[in-house]
Amino acid sequence: MSATEQKPAHWSEKLQTFDRRWIFLAMSLAIVIPLFFPLGLPAKPDPMTKAAYNAVESLPPGSRVFVSLDMDPASTPELEPFFKAVMLHLKRKNVKVVFGTTWYSAPPLVERYMREVVEASIAPAGTAGYSGAPDRPYVKNVDYVNLGFRDGKGAIIQLFGSDLRKAFDGRANDGTALDQIPMMSGIKQLKDFDLIVLLNAGFPGAKEYVQFVGTRYKLKMIAACTAVSTTDLAPYFQTGQLIGLVGGMAAAAGYEDLVGKKGAGTSGADVLNIGSIVVMLAIIFGNVVYFVSPRRRRGGR
Amino acid sequence: MPAFAMIDVVGFWVGIFLTFCILSFLYDDNPFYKLAEHLFIGISIGYLMVQQYTDNLHPKLIVALGEKDGIWLALRLVAIVLVILLFVKALSRRWAWLGRFPLAFVVAFYAGLQINAVANAELGAQIQFASKSLDDPKVDLNTAPAEALTSLPGSSPLVAEKLVAERAQRPFTSLDDATTRPSLTPAERQDLAAARGTLVGLDASASVKPGQQNWFGVLSNVLLLLGLLTSLVYFYFSVAHTGVVGRVSKIGVWVLMIGFGASFGLTVQGRLALAIGRAYDVLGRTFSPSDAAQIKAPYVSLISIVIIILGIAGWELRRRNGRGGPGTAEKT
Repeated sequence: MSATEQKPAHWSEKLQTFDRRWIFLAMSLAIVIPLFFPLGLPAKPDPMTKAAYNAVESLPPGSRVFVSLDMDPASTPELEPFFKAVMLHLKRKNVKVVFGTTWYSAPPLVERYMREVVEASIAPAGTAGYSGAPDRPYVKNVDYVNLGFRDGKGAIIQLFGSDLRKAFDGRANDGTALDQIPMMSGIKQLKDFDLIVLLNAGFPGAKEYVQFVGTRYKLKMIAACTAVSTTDLAPYFQTGQLIGLVGGMAAAAGYEDLVGKKGAGTSGADVLNIGSIVVMLAIIFGNVVYFVSPRRRRGGR
Repeated sequence: MPAFAMIDVVGFWVGIFLTFCILSFLYDDNPFYKLAEHLFIGISIGYLMVQQYTDNLHPKLIVALGEKDGIWLALRLVAIVLVILLFVKALSRRWAWLGRFPLAFVVAFYAGLQINAVANAELGAQIQFASKSLDDPKVDLNTAPAEALTSLPGSSPLVAEKLVAERAQRPFTSLDDATTRPSLTPAERQDLAAARGTLVGLDASASVKPGQQNWFGVLSNVLLLLGLLTSLVYFYFSVAHTGVVGRVSKIGVWVLMIGFGASFGLTVQGRLALAIGRAYDVLGRTFSPSDAAQIKAPYVSLISIVIIILGIAGWELRRRNGRGGPGTAEKT
């Protein structure tokens, strides 16, 4: 063999330069195929999700709960399944609900949720695959109040804690004076609610609620967050600053399991499991290709 | 629920089409991708501007200027002056220093707000938790309050209430006795039975006698303390990381890497959930059967894919023939 003749590249080196779009294709198939052929893998609640469920479950009928929908359309796949499950849970316990948001991109979503989840029945009697108590459609300004959006990030959350009515100029989103809504009587600040439910897609969200009002007013708060925020918020659960935490789609599936009505979280968790397996295989594949590379074994990079 | 108006249906169609436009970036930076990207930015900014005006500027500045109260009116005028000063920074180099006043106000305001909040919620509560006793006594089923019983594996507020009522009649003699009392429903008994386990289950965290330890919990607390200390040593730079300190800080790096690994795994899950959400939408899985029949998402997806493929093929041909405008040079 002449000196100029190059040795054929090692198989691992060829694989190191393969088109990453093959991974995307594999991932697309891993996501789409289980949608048509669900595997029905179990989605069991973790302790943090169970604690969130228990916090809602222990509310006496007629309690009042504040729900902060701090989210945007991008976070709906992870947070919407929890929202539907927790609303069913709250509604079948006949809990009065007050909604608010600190995200400018949330109001159109909130309007849709009011129409499709709050003012409509989620699990009427006879719903297939559901054996729990049926819920009923909620009536605006009777069973629920939508306060709408307020800008101001942490500062406005601080004002919610000290004077909720002032933060919303004493009016609901539809202009009705809060003084004229019977379910709002006696509610001046967040502390007057029996539970705070936070749907958190980022800043401002559950972290700011904990920092600005939760610890100061010793509020009972549970949070549902995107998977990426779970490790940020889990310490607050350990310290009791959050009494429940539902992290991502998999945990939302666990909440659905506890409530007894399977939804998008459960079917999504099935897909999530397959997707996670593909990611793990890709990581193992990448590491094997890297570690068997002759160049790496010679000490190069 | 009433049927969607035609404009809403078209909105769903546009959403599906734009989803595929964004995904077309996998082929190349093409006109379909650019269309979706520009639409997204334009609509976001337009929406934000309108909302800021209607929610902030109009009610809190324009309407509020009609305020009769002298002090509040004066404060609003101060706010307007600060906003004007901010613009001066951009318009005049000579008077740019005036722009520091509004910036200083905002920074000082948020610093004051944040320092108090973080000191309260992060430092106080977290240090208190981190310095708790390493002990982890088991929950005594015969004396513990209902809240403690609720937190047990397999339990719930209802089960806790029943356990409290049962023990008032006759104290529990064993875990088997507690989990098979007649007031528990078969489903509740099943949940409690499934949660049994000596390492992390019910047996590990509950007992019927006082003073027993959850040894796995104690081990977890010890690990937590070690992890905390070694991580802190890694960030302590006043001593050279050699010898014992070096070895301890190396353990700290491993603890941090485990934490980052957990974050990475959850980030992957989050991104997968986004992809699942879009897949659900373009396949029409998020709609009720009646809405799905109206929107016909799978057909719209198919048509969108065909339009985009044909469009990109045409664009690619033009580009190869040297008439594709910017980007031609890089490709050829």
